[in-house]
Amino acid sequence: MKKFKFAPYLLNLPLALLSLIFIVGIVNGLLQSFGLIPALGLYEFTFKYYYEVFSRSDLLASIGLSLYISLASSLLAAIFGVLLSLLLVMTGKAKGKTLNLVKIPIIIPHIVVAFFVITIFSQNGLLARIMYSLGLISAQADFPALLYTDNAFGIILAYLWKEIPFVAFFVITIMANISSTLGEAAKNLGASQWQTFWHVTLPLCMPSIKNAFLIIFAFSLGAYELPYLLGATMPKALPVQAFIEYTHPDLLHRPYAMALNGIMFFISLIIVVLYYRLLQQNTRKVNGGE
Amino acid sequence: MTIKEKIVGRLLLTVFALTVLVPIIVILVWSFAARWPWPNLWPQSFSLRGIQEIFGGYSGALQVLGSSIVLSLIVALLAVLIGTMTARSLVFYNFYGKRLIELGTILPIIIPSTVFAMGVHVLFIRFGLADNIGGVIIVHLICALPYTIKIMTDVTAAFGCKLEEQASVLGASPLQIFKEITLPCLLPGIISSACMAYILSFSQYFLTLIIGGGNVKTFAIMMVPYLQSGDRTIASAYSLVFICSTLLVFVIFEKTAKRFNKNGSNYFFV
Amino acid sequence: MKKLFTFSVIILVLLLALCGCSQGNAPSSTQFDPNADFETLVEQARGTTVTFYGWGGDDLRNKWLDTTVAEHLKEKYDITLKRVPMDIDQILAKLAGEKQAGTEQGSIDMIWINGENFYSAKQNGFLYGPFTDKLPNYAKYIDQDSPENIYDFGYPIEGYEAPYGKAQVVLINDSAVTPETPRNTQELLEFVKKYPGKVTYPALPDFTGSAFARNIIYDIVGHEQFADMPADKETVKEAIEPALEYLRELNPYLWNQGKTFPATIGQVENMFADGELVLYMSYEPYVAATRIANGIFKDTVRSFLFDKGTIGNTNYIAIAQNSPNLAGAIVVVNEILSPEIQASLYGELKSLPVVDYNKLDEQQKELYDSVDIGPGSIPQDELLAKRLPEMPAHLIPVIEEIWLEEVVGK
Repeated sequence: MKKFKFAPYLLNLPLALLSLIFIVGIVNGLLQSFGLIPALGLYEFTFKYYYEVFSRSDLLASIGLSLYISLASSLLAAIFGVLLSLLLVMTGKAKGKTLNLVKIPIIIPHIVVAFFVITIFSQNGLLARIMYSLGLISAQADFPALLYTDNAFGIILAYLWKEIPFVAFFVITIMANISSTLGEAAKNLGASQWQTFWHVTLPLCMPSIKNAFLIIFAFSLGAYELPYLLGATMPKALPVQAFIEYTHPDLLHRPYAMALNGIMFFISLIIVVLYYRLLQQNTRKVNGGE
Repeated sequence: MTIKEKIVGRLLLTVFALTVLVPIIVILVWSFAARWPWPNLWPQSFSLRGIQEIFGGYSGALQVLGSSIVLSLIVALLAVLIGTMTARSLVFYNFYGKRLIELGTILPIIIPSTVFAMGVHVLFIRFGLADNIGGVIIVHLICALPYTIKIMTDVTAAFGCKLEEQASVLGASPLQIFKEITLPCLLPGIISSACMAYILSFSQYFLTLIIGGGNVKTFAIMMVPYLQSGDRTIASAYSLVFICSTLLVFVIFEKTAKRFNKNGSNYFFV
Repeated sequence: MKKLFTFSVIILVLLLALCGCSQGNAPSSTQFDPNADFETLVEQARGTTVTFYGWGGDDLRNKWLDTTVAEHLKEKYDITLKRVPMDIDQILAKLAGEKQAGTEQGSIDMIWINGENFYSAKQNGFLYGPFTDKLPNYAKYIDQDSPENIYDFGYPIEGYEAPYGKAQVVLINDSAVTPETPRNTQELLEFVKKYPGKVTYPALPDFTGSAFARNIIYDIVGHEQFADMPADKETVKEAIEPALEYLRELNPYLWNQGKTFPATIGQVENMFADGELVLYMSYEPYVAATRIANGIFKDTVRSFLFDKGTIGNTNYIAIAQNSPNLAGAIVVVNEILSPEIQASLYGELKSLPVVDYNKLDEQQKELYDSVDIGPGSIPQDELLAKRLPEMPAHLIPVIEEIWLEEVVGK
């Protein structure tokens, strides 16, 4: 192929333009966390809001909770998502109607998923009702409290429902390709199915899996809907704190919301950069080994 | 595969299908239910409020659904286009700022939309992009691109450029190469990323409100207030229409793709 | 290539179609004259579109605005009312952005607002006003000396918003499940002990949860002392300590032992409708009637009040400073204050009207007297007789903060 010197820059032109808008947007937004909101008469650059946010007693618990929710749900989703994808490929359902089944949870907004989880898993939900009608429990209170608890079980459950299919969706195209070509080859060479999966399919799918993991991890770290609707009153996940500050009727509270968002942003950024570092090292290792 | 494995496979698939479908059935029932108290397994009384809200005409839900679908289709198309271009550059070229783009494409996912919305709103007002469809398309694109770029990068990398080079050596014109080789090979990825971009645009609530300012009314904008207020009958009816219309669009995507790709070489791996 | 061409044409057509969907508002306020009389404004407003921004989670209100009010305005003034469902925090965010960018003509005309949001908006210059003096119906039918038309959550209104509807906290339960209606906090405690695990309230700062907590505070320590209390955490905490003690006493008997509370009033309502809870509280006084009519609540559900009364507030309509259609907005606000629309607000929407009954003529009074508010609700005069003023808005976030620290899980 001809390597036209400016080709990559031209190809990236639309993205660059959008990125520019995006970056100006974030910078503008984050400036608010330093107390610069001219419309509200705030002109002075200050660390006051960060200082106050950092001195909150519940901040660490919030950060911890957020990290725990994202990490647990994303890891589980990645594992089960790959397994689901494998299941679909092995049973020959990587295309067509079954794949549409995978798309359904991806389509459904998080706030609707919260509704599902409440209708099914609450102490008043369908599961409890089925158990009651089977005589397994005698009252609502006998059903274990799965939602609104400190261990964030309900939130993680809701994320899993959405994210397992998401990971599968992300990985399945590549996996189907691999198993239909390379997988066959490996099998012909006498590899067992498990060996093929472990040594051929999985490593080749790894970039996609990692991308999918990063996306759901980053997303769940910053999203407030599910922790807000399904979480315990205390401690609150960091995005929920930011959201509540944001809806505070006194507009002069906006910088606090933005400071909380700022903290969230920097935590995510650090994690993403670390993640890419690890990823790069990995690729180097692989390349070096070849 | 042994018979036993097949049975296990079937069983697991059924479990998966049930996990996905039971909630959908629940909202289907709730769309018509008024009261469904403990410990009933079936609603005690029914109501047509949900159906009236959507099909009764006074809410304008169906017109909004139509324009909302068109809006999201445009976003999906643009996102696929830009995603494919970016993916090509990332896979086939080394250039200044490549690492930055790789890292940068994840940013819109980790930035809380409140930060971005507030910041970009003022900018858009100055450029005349606030309160109109153009601005909304741009912010939706920004949200959708991380996904389309990731998907397209994976697919482009998997498919490589060897075939294109061979065709080029054999004297095919760039347009021919694009039509006969690149497009069919990338098609599964294009469909996937179009679906992702569509759904990100279609479900976008906060950004649409701030940037569209109420002038751009989407289906999500009508639906979310009912979900927030916990009106289960109406929220379920909206959700059901939301899901069905999206699935329909996805089916149309696939049908169109099949027409483009008559050879049926959906999966091509070099 | 041909395909590509057809394709582009299709896209172009779609884009154009879309622009049609998002109609811009024909600006008409360029010639707006603040001293013009009402008749001139009506003439200016004819044929224009007025936007009304506000919370959109209530289908009954949405329908009422989209049909009854919109059709009436179209017929009488040829004004198109466009309702935009948007939460108040987003409305304020939008106005703040527009102000920062110096937009002289925004897209918001009317805003459904009250309390601290109003104060914040007014303080930051987002609102147009004073305008209530331009409304003939305000002068004719509104009791201008009523505290609720002078102060909104303790903040002076000064003509920057016109009343829209009245709200009041009511307690609700099902007479078929719970025969008792607690008349004060002491009886409520006994009630909660009798039905352990089946009572809760939304976590503060939910609007209704917060109002419920304030009502508890009023019942225990009275409401007078809060009128001029500084928003100092220590002072407030000292004043409400007995109420905090009471709320902690409730905890062990509440849903989930008071370790956690539902985040929204919507969740509490659904739990009550499902029979998971036996008590529901609402800031909409006639919610029982509308829910019974919709089949959501059983018809044995009824509302009741504390003997010492419950908190009431008024919600208002303000006009944006950069409204593109000031004349239209003023005409519409005026019309919403008319005895006819207020009567339909009372009868159809089941909300407390803001017009002063004593200022109506016999025929208009008949409009209100003939309304059958429906089962499970408290008559208007009884509600108003037991109406307590809202707390000054600046104290509310302080109480919410204290509640999180001193009550949850304690």
